Amino acid sequence: MNKEIIRKTDPIQRRKERLSRGLARSTQTALADLEESPDLPRSMGYFINIMRDVFADGRKDRLFRPTGFQSVNPKKVIGTYCIMVPEELIYAAGAIPVRLCGGSDETSGIGGELVPRDTCPVVKSSVGFTSLDLISLYGICDAVIVPTTCDAKRKMGEVLSSFTNVWMLEVPHVKETEGARKQWLLHITALKRDFEKLTGRKIRRKALQTAIRMIAGAQYEARRLHEIRKSKAPVILGREAMLALNAYGYDTAFEWTKAMARLNHELEQRRDKGRVVAGPNAPRVLISGCPPIFPNWKILSLIEEMGAVTVADESCMGSRYLYDPIGIAEKSMRHMMTGIASRYLMPCVCPSFAPNEDRLYRLLQMTDEFDISGIIYHVLKGCVTYDFELIRVEKIMKEKNIPVLRIETDYSPEDIEQLRTRIEAFVEMIGMKKSKMKRG
Amino acid sequence: MNISGLRWTISIISFVVLIFGGVTGLYLGRFIPAFSCGYVGSHLRSGMCVLPVFQSAVSYCSWESFKYLGEMFLYFSLLVILIGRAWCGWICPFGFLQDVLDLIRKKLNFGYLSFSEGVRAKLRCIKWIFLFVALLLPLWAAFPVLAPSVAAEFSCPFCQLCPGKYILPLVTADASRVAVNYRSETAFILTALGLLFSVLVIFGALMKRRFWCPYCPMGLLLSFYRKISFIKLKKDSGKCTMCEVCYNVCPLEIQQVFKERESEDVTFSDCTLCLKCVEHCPEDGALRATFLGKTLYSAKYEFSMPHSQRERTDE
Repeated sequence: MNKEIIRKTDPIQRRKERLSRGLARSTQTALADLEESPDLPRSMGYFINIMRDVFADGRKDRLFRPTGFQSVNPKKVIGTYCIMVPEELIYAAGAIPVRLCGGSDETSGIGGELVPRDTCPVVKSSVGFTSLDLISLYGICDAVIVPTTCDAKRKMGEVLSSFTNVWMLEVPHVKETEGARKQWLLHITALKRDFEKLTGRKIRRKALQTAIRMIAGAQYEARRLHEIRKSKAPVILGREAMLALNAYGYDTAFEWTKAMARLNHELEQRRDKGRVVAGPNAPRVLISGCPPIFPNWKILSLIEEMGAVTVADESCMGSRYLYDPIGIAEKSMRHMMTGIASRYLMPCVCPSFAPNEDRLYRLLQMTDEFDISGIIYHVLKGCVTYDFELIRVEKIMKEKNIPVLRIETDYSPEDIEQLRTRIEAFVEMIGMKKSKMKRG
Repeated sequence: MNISGLRWTISIISFVVLIFGGVTGLYLGRFIPAFSCGYVGSHLRSGMCVLPVFQSAVSYCSWESFKYLGEMFLYFSLLVILIGRAWCGWICPFGFLQDVLDLIRKKLNFGYLSFSEGVRAKLRCIKWIFLFVALLLPLWAAFPVLAPSVAAEFSCPFCQLCPGKYILPLVTADASRVAVNYRSETAFILTALGLLFSVLVIFGALMKRRFWCPYCPMGLLLSFYRKISFIKLKKDSGKCTMCEVCYNVCPLEIQQVFKERESEDVTFSDCTLCLKCVEHCPEDGALRATFLGKTLYSAKYEFSMPHSQRERTDE
């Protein structure tokens, strides 16, 4: 009784409830936008439910687990930021990874009180989620791993450590050198020992092999989707595909893979039947730059509202999340660890690396393979590293005659009208260009 | 069958043919660009390594011997131009033996050794020293102006050092070669060194993939032809993600393949064309093996993720 009164009168508690309702509302808005589409594939329901579970109903009770988690009983849950944390090791140790990079406007406001004003909204939102404990995703983590990628993420680790058990993971920033790769392998090996200590289970060869195979399965399905998105007339909207990929972060690899296989199967059938979401003349957009993280579906919704289709992305929460597989030729522990270390460092084209020529190669390849008509370069306010690379991206795209639109924004819905106008104009322009090229 | 299976099959067949094929009366010649060792009983082997022919021809240093050498060299060159260092990766019996030792290590699930870039750079001179021994010391035997008693032992100097001389006959149950030659001090030193190398190679090959190949003078000789050889390893830089998989699976630990961004030809001098990199490359068409410009085998995501590697998820 007493507790109840305190809960109702405590200003922090009241604020928390208000934010919780706000988050549920924006989650619903983003999901409703998807669900209203008459072409929504049936198999998308699973991924939409995960998002709803995590963000809208995520406060049901302390022991809540997202959909896929219910089938397994992990010893520990490990929160990860960025895409350099080897999930194979987490699974092999009997734990489960969840991705914590934040995408909510509500929490980025709160987080903003704990970090400098110019920090990017991803970090603000992550700090907000952790400090407020708004949804249980952040509370269930026994350890949170923060790779030292960009400056903001690195310092975020320090801020988070007053709320949760943070492990910093040092990522070398110049990956071409032998020293960096050796050091990275050492860090990964140390991380493996830390996981073993945390879960009390030794990572054996067989378990690691199984984990590698399981994630390879997820990667296989992600690649299948990647290939499906290349089709001449798009069969899935970008905002749907990216949501399905984003959901991987809040699900177990095994359950996600099954759901993804169902989605791919459905999409392949649709493609064969010719049931498309847009004609072959719809402008094809590549969304580049900062990752759209759910529930920040602002840009993605706007692009497709204007009649373009986001056929490709290079987001670390989207296509890049599961793109690069582990290549191993034998099953010795050493070789597997080398393979894991390589996979999480070398092919990664996060702009926190320098030199990062690979990213330009990757973008060029994507524009060819996906027949891109225009690039929307998403810059979240405060993300200097992605913004730095804009000039070079613009330069190579100019040579290929592909227009690039830089959109600088954050998670707040305030600038949505202004963005709508700009994106509308851009989509119209690339659409005209495309039909002109067709004609002559 | 995947490319590894094909390579194993061809290596086994060529091992049997080269080392035991002579039983059927088969004789291929004395210009084989692989370690088809001349010290294996002549009733067993079906061909002979080109190095002893070369060394003895130089040490005789006569018009006749050079004419013979020229003829052998022509055949040798034609064979090398045809398939380049695939001789090393697919045919060489000594390479095959190393692969067998490596397979034992793999089956025991032991990890392998790898040298750092610095160590590798320092060891690179060894193959040149061996080549120098094989090409120039026989000249001393031909013109023994200094210390003729020493020079007399240099008619076939590299063979005395070569681990193939000691190990390959052993495979045919002929242990007579595993001995130190006490005829003279020079012979003693050469054979003792040779035995030492053999022991090193056996243990080395158990711990490191293709332990001997980076130091093999025959391999070096073959690599001189790589620009004009018909078989080439090619890379499409636009498709490469620099994921380092090719480097990790490469038995010779060639890292230039994933680092190369300029040239299309990535047949580097150490490359034995075993095509493991192509097999494991996860990007469609990023790496491929070509024969006279025609693609023989191209990287495919599906190849890199065989069904044994991933859980079946199809419904």
